[in-house]
Amino acid sequence: MSTLLEVSGVSVTFDGFRAINNLSFQIGEAELRAIIGPNGAGKTTFMDIVTGKTRPDEGRVIWGEKSVNLLKMNEAKIAQAGIGRKFQRPTVFEDQSVYDNLLMAVKNARGPLPVLFYKPTFKDRGKVEELASEIGLADELSRKSGELSHGQKQWLEIGMLLAQEPRLLLVDEPAAGMTLAEREHTTDLLVEAAKTRAVVVVEHDMEFVRRLNCKVTVLHEGSVLAEGSLDHVTANQQVIDVYLGR
Amino acid sequence: MPRRLLSALLCLISLLATPLAAQEGPLQDLLQSQRALIEDSSRRTIGPAIDAIRDSGLDGAALVLEKWEAREMWQRESDGLFFYAEEVNRDTLHLYAFDGPTDLGEVPDEGFDQLKPNSGIRGLIASALVQFQLSDPDISRRRAALDALARDGNADHLPVLRAAIENEPDAAIRAQKERLERLLTIRFGATDAARIEAIAYFRGDLAVDVRAALNPILATRREVVAGEPPAGANIAAELTPGSETFPAEEAYGLLVSAGLAPARLTADAQRQALAANIVEGRVGGVPVAELSDPAARDRAYDALEAAGTVPAAATQSEVEAALAAHSFFDRYVEPSAAVTDAAEEALNSIELKLAVNQFIDLALDALSLASIYFLAAIGLAITFGVMGVINMAHGEFIMMGAYTGYVLQQLIPNYTVSILVAIPVAFAVTFAAGVAMERLVIRWLYSRPLETLLATFGISIALQQLAKNIFGTQARPLTSPGWLDGQLVINDIIGISWIRVAIFVLALVFLAIYLFIMQRTRLGLETRAVTQNPRMAASMGINPDRVNMLTFGLGSGIAGIAGVAIGLFAQVTSELGQGYIVQSFMTVVVGGVGNVWGTLAGATMIGFLQKGIEWLNPSNTLAAQTYMIIFIIIFIQFRPRGIIALKGRAAGD
Amino acid sequence: MKNSFIARNPSILIFLACLAVFTLVITLMSHAYGTGGISTSFVKTLGRTLCLCLVAIAMDLVWGYCGILSLGHFAFFGLGGYMVGMWLMYARTEIIVIESLANSPIPPTAQEVQDAIGTQIFGVVGSSEFPLIWSFAHSLTLQLLLVVLIPGVLALVFGWLAFRSRVTGVYLSILTQAMTLALSLYLFQNESGLRGNNGLSGLQNLPGVTAGQDAISVWFLWASALALGLGYLLAAWVVSGKFGSVVRGIRDDEARVRFLGYSVETYKLFIFTLTAIIAAVAGALYYPQAGIINPGEIAPIASIYLAVWVAIGGRGRLYGAVIGAAVVSLVSTWFTGGMVPALNLGFYRIDWVDWWLVLLGLSFVLVTLFAPKGIGGLFDLVGARMAPNRHGADYGPGKGSLREKEGQE
Repeated sequence: MSTLLEVSGVSVTFDGFRAINNLSFQIGEAELRAIIGPNGAGKTTFMDIVTGKTRPDEGRVIWGEKSVNLLKMNEAKIAQAGIGRKFQRPTVFEDQSVYDNLLMAVKNARGPLPVLFYKPTFKDRGKVEELASEIGLADELSRKSGELSHGQKQWLEIGMLLAQEPRLLLVDEPAAGMTLAEREHTTDLLVEAAKTRAVVVVEHDMEFVRRLNCKVTVLHEGSVLAEGSLDHVTANQQVIDVYLGR
Repeated sequence: MPRRLLSALLCLISLLATPLAAQEGPLQDLLQSQRALIEDSSRRTIGPAIDAIRDSGLDGAALVLEKWEAREMWQRESDGLFFYAEEVNRDTLHLYAFDGPTDLGEVPDEGFDQLKPNSGIRGLIASALVQFQLSDPDISRRRAALDALARDGNADHLPVLRAAIENEPDAAIRAQKERLERLLTIRFGATDAARIEAIAYFRGDLAVDVRAALNPILATRREVVAGEPPAGANIAAELTPGSETFPAEEAYGLLVSAGLAPARLTADAQRQALAANIVEGRVGGVPVAELSDPAARDRAYDALEAAGTVPAAATQSEVEAALAAHSFFDRYVEPSAAVTDAAEEALNSIELKLAVNQFIDLALDALSLASIYFLAAIGLAITFGVMGVINMAHGEFIMMGAYTGYVLQQLIPNYTVSILVAIPVAFAVTFAAGVAMERLVIRWLYSRPLETLLATFGISIALQQLAKNIFGTQARPLTSPGWLDGQLVINDIIGISWIRVAIFVLALVFLAIYLFIMQRTRLGLETRAVTQNPRMAASMGINPDRVNMLTFGLGSGIAGIAGVAIGLFAQVTSELGQGYIVQSFMTVVVGGVGNVWGTLAGATMIGFLQKGIEWLNPSNTLAAQTYMIIFIIIFIQFRPRGIIALKGRAAGD
Repeated sequence: MKNSFIARNPSILIFLACLAVFTLVITLMSHAYGTGGISTSFVKTLGRTLCLCLVAIAMDLVWGYCGILSLGHFAFFGLGGYMVGMWLMYARTEIIVIESLANSPIPPTAQEVQDAIGTQIFGVVGSSEFPLIWSFAHSLTLQLLLVVLIPGVLALVFGWLAFRSRVTGVYLSILTQAMTLALSLYLFQNESGLRGNNGLSGLQNLPGVTAGQDAISVWFLWASALALGLGYLLAAWVVSGKFGSVVRGIRDDEARVRFLGYSVETYKLFIFTLTAIIAAVAGALYYPQAGIINPGEIAPIASIYLAVWVAIGGRGRLYGAVIGAAVVSLVSTWFTGGMVPALNLGFYRIDWVDWWLVLLGLSFVLVTLFAPKGIGGLFDLVGARMAPNRHGADYGPGKGSLREKEGQE
């Protein structure tokens, strides 16, 4: 299995506080990975770095077969390269319909002129409908997304991510605020997605992580504390110390 | 000679005959000895007479010269004796003698001739008088004489001045005399060496009179001669026609005005010549209708020239030949090259020092401008930076403060008291206005900065028009108290008005007050807490509503005080605030939001930048502002969050 | 496809119909082509108002849809006016100069004509030389090209600088205001080559046209109505479909759009430049009807008024902008023209010429506070558009995102 994303020796300092400290991380294609860690471990900052929102002080972030340096690209370029991100809070365009939201995300030319003269093709419409049924919103296409329930918005956002056809999905706490049933649906979506692409899930909730049944990376104070199966890492004394704060 | 003998004889007779023989004395004798010259009254010959009186060493010599110069000296026809007199009326004189018992009472003016020296003679007398004035026991007369010499001294004064230095008792005046002696030596020194020495004395001296003495030495005259420039001439620079500083047209113009070459044909002259020679719709064989083409005009003129009807005009090749045959140069009016070199060197040394001093002066100006911007912007920085609220009506709060000062001056006649009262009252008024605005409008628009911007803009236009309706459109003066008039003068170059010093001090005071409130009081603590995390602050028992209200009031109140300060040097109009609002925004944006040091840095930068650009381009303050704004737009490229930016995740979103 | 675009936006047809009817009615009541019930100066006022509506559409596009509160669009409007004014002034002066020189015994050379025009135009600023920026003033085609190019390039350069450094929200507004101030201060100088504070004048005369002002005013009304109609169509087309989705997405949540792979800066730049050009075209039609343009027109306050119109009309909907601009500018003309009877309170007489601005300012505060949807919001009472209930939260974290009240019915 070849490496899709390689982060090595990355450090970030905010006003003297080292949010990320010499962090190294790798993920291959079609892999599901969970990142756990206590508050302030640098999980969100890690995602910020990979998606181009934050520039690290040092280190390298290499992407894909061609070993592209992501640090030289802006957010939009990174997204076009195939990295999708889902935020902690559901962020969909509430003033617009579910259909418009999904259509905006469907992989197509992103420049202003092609977008201006864009006409939805039969294929694109089909894709939107297919995605909508996958995330369980097939009946809600014409509704404004602001009217959806919290869980539906989370799914819509995951749907938008999938529509981008990314090769790497970064998902920040997807299960927060969901009911049990909704969680199960979310787990299914992510596991299904990880069959064809790499998925990184940042999560607090151990139950949810256990259900994902994948390799786990534990972050602490900006660097990797442990890596392995969930049972492996939870048996690690250091991890127990950090989580239980002995 | 026989005539002089005769007159002496006559004089003797008259002396014997006079009933007023008592007026004889050394002065009268002296005058009588010079009588012929005095009566002759010619500028050419009078010199020895004046010198004789001046050098006589007699006590009354100065009196004689003064009266003579003032045309108050009279001569009795009968015996030729000299008196001075006041005209009581048309026919009566009050007569005084120069010697002895002086008051001779009133006499009819019949038989007395008034001496009327012409202006040339009076000039000579005045020069002679300088010697007496320079040593006058009265210090104010000595000072006046020195001032007069400094204004228009001439070569004659130089020895007199030198002689008067020795016995000068007052140290200050002595120094002044010595300095004046050096200045006069520069202009009238006998030898080049003396002049050069005097020039060297003034190296690095910033006074204006030194430059006034040195600059004429370096004055040049533009000359043209055939062939090479004359040998031995003190030439400042040789000029090449056709160069950037000396275009060929100017060179040829010089030749024409020196009568060395014929004038060129201007387009205007050509048209007039052609118009004067229209014959049957043709000029020189060319139809008039074709003459809209310059080439056709030239052909027509050539034809006229060949026919001899118009004078020949210089052609391009003739012009070039003439330019090549002559040399052009700037020649110093001063013939001695050594003197001009020395003057140039001294001026260079002065220029350098002058530049340093001007820079300091400019820096002081910039500092005062910066403190004005700081005062105007600090209130905005509080509301914009701390609360994230943009207040377009901030400028109107400044205006409100200025009008408060104006109204108080109408009520309290003492300017000092009224200004001292105005500062707290202006604060109170604008504080109240700010709190009212926060409660009524802004409170409902938190986290909607663009709407706040527009709503406060609505308030801004309403307040502005309201001020116009109440106070009218004409400017109202806010007079500063007497002790703020005038300047703090450090030397000839560096000076700053007391108002600006006061504003600088005021700005420092406000910086201190702001820092005190923010760092040492409960309100400051709460404000900082609300700024960083309103929700957390609220859950800690801080009432964000109250904090926001007070912060907004504080920011507005400071704007009111800034208004009083600005009103002192600017006219108070309803548009007063508008002139400062954009600069204030720039100050806050450039400085960085949420930090008073940022505002200080921003104000300093904008103040210095504006003065700097104005200095580079002094004729055009509008352009200076344009360039400054462009600079700021570019500056934002490199530091989008200002000079002093908050870093970290807190600044991210 | 065109049909479906219009079909999806019935408001466009309604708007165009209203505009056509309005133009027809005014034409039939004008002096030149109708009963003469409306004075020529009022026809001009109406024509100018149509231009203001067009620039309000541009403002709505950039602010209401894209969330950029630009306080600089009136600068582009003014620049467009200057560009067309240069040709008008040059061409008219040329005709006058040629007429006066025709009486001289020798026919003038091209250079003499040029010099005489220069003296005529720049005499007021103590010059007679043509500045470089007048190089194309002799040609209508080139100068019309400049109407689009100069503001377009300025917007492109400024926008590129501003958006590239991720200046957003209030910062961006202040920056655009600074740009406007810089431009107007620059034009105030005589050295700018555009006659300093004298500005350009006599623009109401079309060179080479013998028809009277009553006919010209109607022609300009037609041109302005046509431009407004086309501008409305263009704007409506831009904000419909996927491009509109992206642009509104930028307004509501810029970061999210960026993570979807859209280059937010490029889109902003596109909208900023496009609207600058629309504003310039509106200005180019406005100033020949006003007759005079000077740097005071470009002052930052004008651009803020533009934002006021759009806010009062209702941002985020094109017809709202048009209604806002028309209503506020016409009411403003009505009040400041002294046509409103003074209100006598017994102890004080309210003269509306003096108090209109106070009224406008306060009503603007009230609209912002209580009717964020503006006048256009009234139309929603008729239509049945559903908006999500957000329980008080905003649509997005973006500084320009719509408020809940605006989205609601």
